[in-house]
Amino acid sequence: MVLAERSNDVRNGKRSRGPSPNGHGSPDSSSEDENAEKIRVGRDYQAVCPELEPVEQRRPELISDRALLVWSPTTDISDLKLDEYITTAKEKYGYNGEQALGMLFWHKHDLNRASMDLANFTPFPDEWTVEDKVLFEQAFQFHGKSFHRIRQMLPDKSIASLVKYYYSWKKTRARTSLMDVVGEGRNAAGTGTGKSGAGSEPGGSDKESDNDEKGELGSESAGSGGKWCTVCGILCSHTTPHNSHKLCQACLVHARRTGSMRPLCGPSGRRGPGAKQQRYKHRLPRGIYINHDDLVAMATGPQPGDPVQPGIVNQGEAMLKAMDREIISLKRQVQQNKQQLSAMKRKVGDAGVDDLRPGEPPAKINSRWTNEELLMAVTAVRKYGKDFQAIAETLGTKTEAHVRSFFISYRRRYNLDAVLREHEADRGNAHHIQAGTTSTDAENPVEITTANNGTSSPQTTKDEKPEVDSEGVSLGAPAEQGGPPTTPPKHKPNK
Amino acid sequence: MAMQPHSKKRVCYYYDSDIGNYYYGQGHPMKPHRIRMTHNLLLNYGLYRKMEIYRPHKATADEMTKFHSDDYIRFLRSIRPDNMSEYNKQMQRFNVGEDCPVFDGLYEFCQLSAGGSVAAAVKLNKQASEICINWGGGLHHAKKSEASGFCYVNDIVLGILELLKYHQRVLYIDIDVHHGDGVEEAFYTTDRVMTVSFHKYGEYFPGTGDLRDIGAGKGKYYAVNIPLRDGMDDESYESIFVPIISKVMETFQPSAVVLQCGADSLTGDRLGCFNLTVRGHGRCVELVKRFGLPFLLVGGGGYTIRNVSRCWTYETSVALGVEIANELPYNDYFEYFGPDFKLHISPSNMSNQNTPEYLEKIKNRLFENLRMLPHAPGVQVQAIPEDAVNDESEDEDKVDKDERLPQSEKDKRITGEGELSDSEDEGEGGRRDNRSYRTPQPRKRPRLDKDAPALKDELKAEDSKDDVKNMSVEEPKKDTVPNP
Repeated sequence: MVLAERSNDVRNGKRSRGPSPNGHGSPDSSSEDENAEKIRVGRDYQAVCPELEPVEQRRPELISDRALLVWSPTTDISDLKLDEYITTAKEKYGYNGEQALGMLFWHKHDLNRASMDLANFTPFPDEWTVEDKVLFEQAFQFHGKSFHRIRQMLPDKSIASLVKYYYSWKKTRARTSLMDVVGEGRNAAGTGTGKSGAGSEPGGSDKESDNDEKGELGSESAGSGGKWCTVCGILCSHTTPHNSHKLCQACLVHARRTGSMRPLCGPSGRRGPGAKQQRYKHRLPRGIYINHDDLVAMATGPQPGDPVQPGIVNQGEAMLKAMDREIISLKRQVQQNKQQLSAMKRKVGDAGVDDLRPGEPPAKINSRWTNEELLMAVTAVRKYGKDFQAIAETLGTKTEAHVRSFFISYRRRYNLDAVLREHEADRGNAHHIQAGTTSTDAENPVEITTANNGTSSPQTTKDEKPEVDSEGVSLGAPAEQGGPPTTPPKHKPNK
Repeated sequence: MAMQPHSKKRVCYYYDSDIGNYYYGQGHPMKPHRIRMTHNLLLNYGLYRKMEIYRPHKATADEMTKFHSDDYIRFLRSIRPDNMSEYNKQMQRFNVGEDCPVFDGLYEFCQLSAGGSVAAAVKLNKQASEICINWGGGLHHAKKSEASGFCYVNDIVLGILELLKYHQRVLYIDIDVHHGDGVEEAFYTTDRVMTVSFHKYGEYFPGTGDLRDIGAGKGKYYAVNIPLRDGMDDESYESIFVPIISKVMETFQPSAVVLQCGADSLTGDRLGCFNLTVRGHGRCVELVKRFGLPFLLVGGGGYTIRNVSRCWTYETSVALGVEIANELPYNDYFEYFGPDFKLHISPSNMSNQNTPEYLEKIKNRLFENLRMLPHAPGVQVQAIPEDAVNDESEDEDKVDKDERLPQSEKDKRITGEGELSDSEDEGEGGRRDNRSYRTPQPRKRPRLDKDAPALKDELKAEDSKDDVKNMSVEEPKKDTVPNP
């Protein structure tokens, strides 16, 4: 047996088999395999091969297929159209891909007739009711995967149905548990104070934070047109003042009937010690809130057990199902996009990106500056700072040296220093920019020109490093310095 | 006839939607659900629509007793979980109970599995299809009157028996990590079926499959066993698979091929100990397909079910000659394939205990045996395999290039033990190999080309005259030879 394969007693030695007919009499057959299993020979072991039918006696057309054809491929329908059809069948009518194709095959690959016929059939309804599912989960907790035991709790289900459900339920377990967390979170927040649970400050006293939040909630509800029940802490469209509370419908009904506030299960909120910890643990995830109206809508629909109103499907379930379908459809889209992306990536990877690069600039290098080029150059300085090479590449008609001399000769005319400053501000050098902006715009060019003579500026503040100074110098005198850094300077000289 | 790696073929696919609902029992590694997962993946990859899809009939007792003994089939038909106690003696006799448990719907499961393979064989006989697939089949351990290794009814034997009505010689190839003992035994004494099994050998189930087991009586030399050690990787596997299969094709000249695609030879299998990737496994399908013979593909082992369905999906695409994206489409069991949601898997860093020398030795021994076959031409024996290996691996490189990832990336993809594993709550470790694949070990990679580059070049120069991949050399004859 396979279990025993790691141990030495292969097949537990419970069967002895005949020796190999070949006897392994050759000298190299060792004794290592004296316990090994052998292929047995005899009438009890071999198959009896049928006679080969002579070609002339063959009647292949008379042999039955012994199988039912449920789909055959067609070349008449493009993949795209087929995808479209399947998607419609899935999302609009709840078919699965196989059923959709089955329908198409039934109509002999007539897409139009199949599409029209989709609405006339409902694919197998999910015979698992909520009760069944809950029961299954309980039974599973108890019995594990002993499906015959689980079946004792769900006698109307076949083992096959249980196994099938198990495999589709198993993967969603993670999601279920998330729902549980959300549910608990709601309860925890609800019992506490009727706040959303978001944003309570760990430092403040309970009371204070409550008040803060109530204020917050008030403004929120004013904005969204909803109101918060002060007992269960749920957003709903309509609240009724009752005693000192504003109550949602459910709480109001409870209060009227029993005279006390509706008790909510879950860990008790603010009053108990350590309540805060609890609250944090069960807080609703960011961006998720519970709308009481939705809950009411879900809960007030006819339940599956209800004998009356057979026409209306259970509203809550229908809502959830629609959402599930939407999620699945989105997930499908995500995977499709991923497939397309990787296909494109591969295409690009194969061909290389070079094909897509613009060719060599058609325009010749010309040292004369047209107005258009000047405009572009200024914009480029704004974008690339003093990366002259990048600017030259962008322009396409100028060399790096051209751009450099442009920078010097037009520096004043176009107030390029201001442009540079903007560039740096964009690069997010907040620290330096702050330092830079302390000096006024008018002063700045002057400062820099003073630095032009090649000495380090005496005005540099103490905490600036020497490299900054030299960079400042090079900024002022690129041509004289011979080789200014091509990367834009990180620092600007300031005062 | 030049062989194209991706030639379009008419493919028929056999599947019954009930097959995923059978359950061997708590803690049992065999999960028919993997067949449904495969099916669902195929469907969402858009492969389904490119094949003829058949729902097989349930094989009748009559059909099954074409191989199996009457009383064994009668026993299978009557035993149920609730009447087991009445059958104690027979259960012992037929080896049903432990590895091969009695579960609800056992007989039907066998009927569907066998029905698929038989129907597929019939289809091939009618020449109504070139390739037939039954992932629900491949239960290669089942014996004439005995269940074994999770197998009760040997659908492969039944399929081959059907093929033998129209085909003088049928080749059976088995790439399951376990020895295909049931099929080998069934055809041990006939020269009409050659069984070729690549498997882990040495203290491993089922214990048979020695290099020296070569068949008996008329069937002597018609059983070929390739015993392998732990850690076979894609490269080594191909280096032995290609020459052996080419040689077998050349000497045996079958007119139909059955390939058992047991996926427990994949890396990270719950019971297996090889290190193949989906690509390497599928490569075997591709290579066999190139011979252009009527081709029956069946499933088999495979106990890390997310990888099983990856593998069989990929192999279906290979059979169809369709390329499919590495990103999995959304499907009913999408969450099973996390965290990467990709089709292809990376090998582990386990060491490969099959040295090139070892493989070479086996190969030579098997070649000697194959030379004993009556109609072996015996001439072009020498250099062919080397070149074949070289040729193919070059191909492989091209395909692979953009899929390869730096090791760091691969490491990220290794799924944690507990992560959505298909066997999560059965993981007491009882059945799993205790060896940790993840302990970093220097990887021994056989370098095949190291010693013979000069030779290869020579061969290439020679071969370029007829510019055919040498595996195809035999091809043209095939069409004429089959049924003398």
